[in-house]
Amino acid sequence: MLHSVKISREACQGCVNCIKICPTEAIRIVDGEINIISELCIDCGECLRSCSRQALGIQGDDWNKIKEAPKVTLLPDPVFYSQFSHYMDPSALESVVSSFGYEMMTEEMEEAFDLSAYACAQAISHSPRQSLPLISCYCSSTLRFIQSRFPELLPRVVPVCSPLELAADLLRMRTNSSAPITLLSPCPAKITMIKDPQGRERSPIDNAVELRRVARSIMASNASPQPETDARERSNRWLHWARRGGEARHIQAFSDRKLTMLAVSGLRNTIDVLQELELGRLRNVDFIECRICDTGCVGGTGTAESRFLANLRINSINVDWNVTENDVQRAERLYAMDFWAIEKEYTARPHLPLSDNIGEAMAKLQQMKEIYSCLPHIDCGSCGRPSCQAMAEEIVRGHGSVTDCIFKLREGIATLANRIVVMSESQPQTLKIRGETK
Amino acid sequence: MAAPVCLEYRIEGNDFMVAGAASNNIKNTLKMLGISSSVCTRVAIIAYEAEINLVIHGGGGVLKAEITEDRVKLTAEDEGPGIADIEKAMTEGFSTATEYAREMGFGAGMGLPNIKKNSDEFNIESEVGKGTRLYSTVFFNKQ
Repeated sequence: MLHSVKISREACQGCVNCIKICPTEAIRIVDGEINIISELCIDCGECLRSCSRQALGIQGDDWNKIKEAPKVTLLPDPVFYSQFSHYMDPSALESVVSSFGYEMMTEEMEEAFDLSAYACAQAISHSPRQSLPLISCYCSSTLRFIQSRFPELLPRVVPVCSPLELAADLLRMRTNSSAPITLLSPCPAKITMIKDPQGRERSPIDNAVELRRVARSIMASNASPQPETDARERSNRWLHWARRGGEARHIQAFSDRKLTMLAVSGLRNTIDVLQELELGRLRNVDFIECRICDTGCVGGTGTAESRFLANLRINSINVDWNVTENDVQRAERLYAMDFWAIEKEYTARPHLPLSDNIGEAMAKLQQMKEIYSCLPHIDCGSCGRPSCQAMAEEIVRGHGSVTDCIFKLREGIATLANRIVVMSESQPQTLKIRGETK
Repeated sequence: MAAPVCLEYRIEGNDFMVAGAASNNIKNTLKMLGISSSVCTRVAIIAYEAEINLVIHGGGGVLKAEITEDRVKLTAEDEGPGIADIEKAMTEGFSTATEYAREMGFGAGMGLPNIKKNSDEFNIESEVGKGTRLYSTVFFNKQ
């Protein structure tokens, strides 16, 4: 399993901030070094936020190498447009980027996001009442989270490829160029989407780099945009997918009826909404947009700009929410081509049981409860695991021992020390009994 | 046969904020035993609805889960007001929840029907003024 979180072992001090923040409890400290359990990681980037020593980073492709290619085709995440204070207008930014000799796939993006919104609206209107709400698949971290924690909800995830992938598909269909396409990603999760695609065999996108990397180099250049030459009408609807609620609004624009939609962002909200959905509490909701990052993709860990400012900028870009007859026809045409659907079902990635045999698993569970009951229950993390519960589980799975717990170790030392005292008080035969001599 | 795994939770009355913790815990335990996720979800729904019933109607009570190799048996017990007409309580949409509970988004009258729908075996005993006892069993390999 491929991931996009990289660890710098020299910088890691072995503090336990990251292991405690990880929503899937995927991180351990073993022998003073951080270790990520690949099966559990969902590339949400929460650990990056918790690290004050930059021991955790995003592993993308090498931008220095990519930019040297004869032709550089960039697939900008909507977030890219929110990163610059001096290119407020999307077309100004595009002209600056093209002055570097890079090609930006804006037209394909606009079409792909329209198509995606249209396909989602269709999926909602064709779903029977009991299969609603559907869940957005745009945040690949949310998708991975559902695969591991809420596999029962997988049939509700819209079976539409990410619009980022669809834009690359469109470009490939229309040109016979095989020049590599590079995604400017706001987070580790979207990089992983390309390296380890879900729902399709391989990604049409070739490379992915942290958006911050490219945004900073453009900022540093201070290039000024050329005077407006492109008078094309833009809807800019797709740019709103960078912030919470943008996708939902876009889907509504392509929908015949008023939809009931929830748009939540942030790890805790995402977990809560999925839990409520699983327990059957969200009746009468049509669609749920979840973003693991607070405020939406602008809050990703691979961005260069304050998420608050970025959010504000996206909001101030002129957007045309009125879908024209033309837009609908264009989306319908693409929809009929059928390339937008996922090729294979999203697979569940459930947590491994204690044993394949239920009897054995039950015995281990009892053992686990016994071990847990003698631990201090303060989840301090000193054993390198996120909680006492996780430690008890690992011991019965055969990794580690109770003395990894600093409190159990202390207890052990105290018992030993007491025994030493008792032993030291036992009298050798040759000595007179103490207390009687004086 | 391994010894059954017993889980027990004390549920406080009128405490809406923590409702769901016990059912989540039961679900995670089942997952650790390798029970299929569709069964886990059914049990989670039953446990959750039972928990909510204890919170809203029972004035608190005890939720127990007894897991053996082939099934999980849930018991919810309270010493609340009891149910006068069980048949009526089992109809969808019928609810005696307070205004407050409804404001919190509960009390839609779907709890008991939902529990029954997800159970393989279901039973409820109640005596007005004494309390209610609910039993629900889900088998792991049915179907």
